[in-house]
Amino acid sequence: MSDVACGTGPDHCITCGDVAVPLTVLQIDELRGLALCATDAGAHETVELALVGPVAAGEQLLVHAGVALTRLEAR
Amino acid sequence: MKYVDEYRDAELGQVLAGEIAAAVPAGEHLKLMEVCGGHTHSIYKYGVDDLLPDAVELVHGPGCPVCVIPMGRVDDGIAIAHEPGVIFTCFGDMMRVPGSNGTLLEAKAQGADVRMVYSPLDALRIAKANPERDVVFFAIGFETTAPSTALTLLRARAERVPNFFVMCNHVTILPPLRALLESPDLRLDGFIGPGHVCTVVGARPFEFIPAEYGKPLVVSGFEPLDLLQSVHMIVRQLADGRREVENQYARVVPYEGNLRALEVMAEVFELRAHFEWRGLGFISRSALKLSEAFAELDAERRYSVPGVRVADPKACQCGEVLKGVIKPWECKVFGSACTPERPIGTCMVSPEGACAAYYNYGRFSREQLAV
Repeated sequence: MSDVACGTGPDHCITCGDVAVPLTVLQIDELRGLALCATDAGAHETVELALVGPVAAGEQLLVHAGVALTRLEAR
Repeated sequence: MKYVDEYRDAELGQVLAGEIAAAVPAGEHLKLMEVCGGHTHSIYKYGVDDLLPDAVELVHGPGCPVCVIPMGRVDDGIAIAHEPGVIFTCFGDMMRVPGSNGTLLEAKAQGADVRMVYSPLDALRIAKANPERDVVFFAIGFETTAPSTALTLLRARAERVPNFFVMCNHVTILPPLRALLESPDLRLDGFIGPGHVCTVVGARPFEFIPAEYGKPLVVSGFEPLDLLQSVHMIVRQLADGRREVENQYARVVPYEGNLRALEVMAEVFELRAHFEWRGLGFISRSALKLSEAFAELDAERRYSVPGVRVADPKACQCGEVLKGVIKPWECKVFGSACTPERPIGTCMVSPEGACAAYYNYGRFSREQLAV
């Protein structure tokens, strides 16, 4: 389960809506198409890579609801 | 943080604000709609509206997925949550949205097994860990979120998880925009386009707005300088007599979108004939349902639900707020009977909702004083 903060306080709830967050890739599980990523604050999250293809450790991904939508380094 | 800090420079913000003020044609009062709830949130969090000249007014759009869920769909979800043995999963905000007879959070207090998840993939993990129970995911969101649900359904089928089901409430952003543009009670001069929806669908689908309605649209990022630059680009278009789709958020948004995401959505979903939007009524072909190929994972086929249309509380003016007809503070119950702690309307539930954004960032007291 993700340990990314998810609340209903005054800040964004990243579970909903049009909110995506930049995360940094730490480790890659090529077999399952997943990556362990970290927020700037150090929280870890498992991210699905199916929509962005192969990534490398250190790359930044835009992630929404556990799925990487695009690579930030690429553009 | 890279990609964040450089877009929060206060001095640059002041410079951009000056350029916006200088670019507004003399005597004009421009009404620009930020489509996305994430933008609404950023505007009030960072005080972007305070930097804009009086001649530029921001109008909040219908792009908060929690806010547009009608009460009847909440009732349907609660009915499934109360089914024996069901583990009902949903995003955090959704648990506090009122139906006609309470919220999912209250259903949980009454004994239903309702759990908050961060991702539909988390719901699938719960299903695999509880093979003797049905696990239902209440899917909401625009095209930003729909690919996550689609990928989860593909994984569920590939891994043969027989006890995972989805109640699909995904909506699409273009039909309500067209409905707003056709609305006689709203005059808009331009649009701030939804950046992360465009990460998936691209900017091209929005070209009908300048082509058919003569309004500029600029796809925008979510940082304060992104928003100011987008407003500046819209104002420049209006001043120059141009009407086109521009992409301010090109560092993230490819003009053609994410083709793989569009493929998985097309594989898993099909358009509903009609779907009810809170405050906007029924809009044709504006929402998604599971395709026939995924019928066995469809919670609405697995369980019978009331399916009753429920009128919003009379005191609630979320509909007018969602259409940008009134400001949040102009609602009769804003900040009194309706607060983030005890919301009556959906716009006060989600932090992306215009009412909650106003309330949480102190706009409440300012606007009260201005009356």
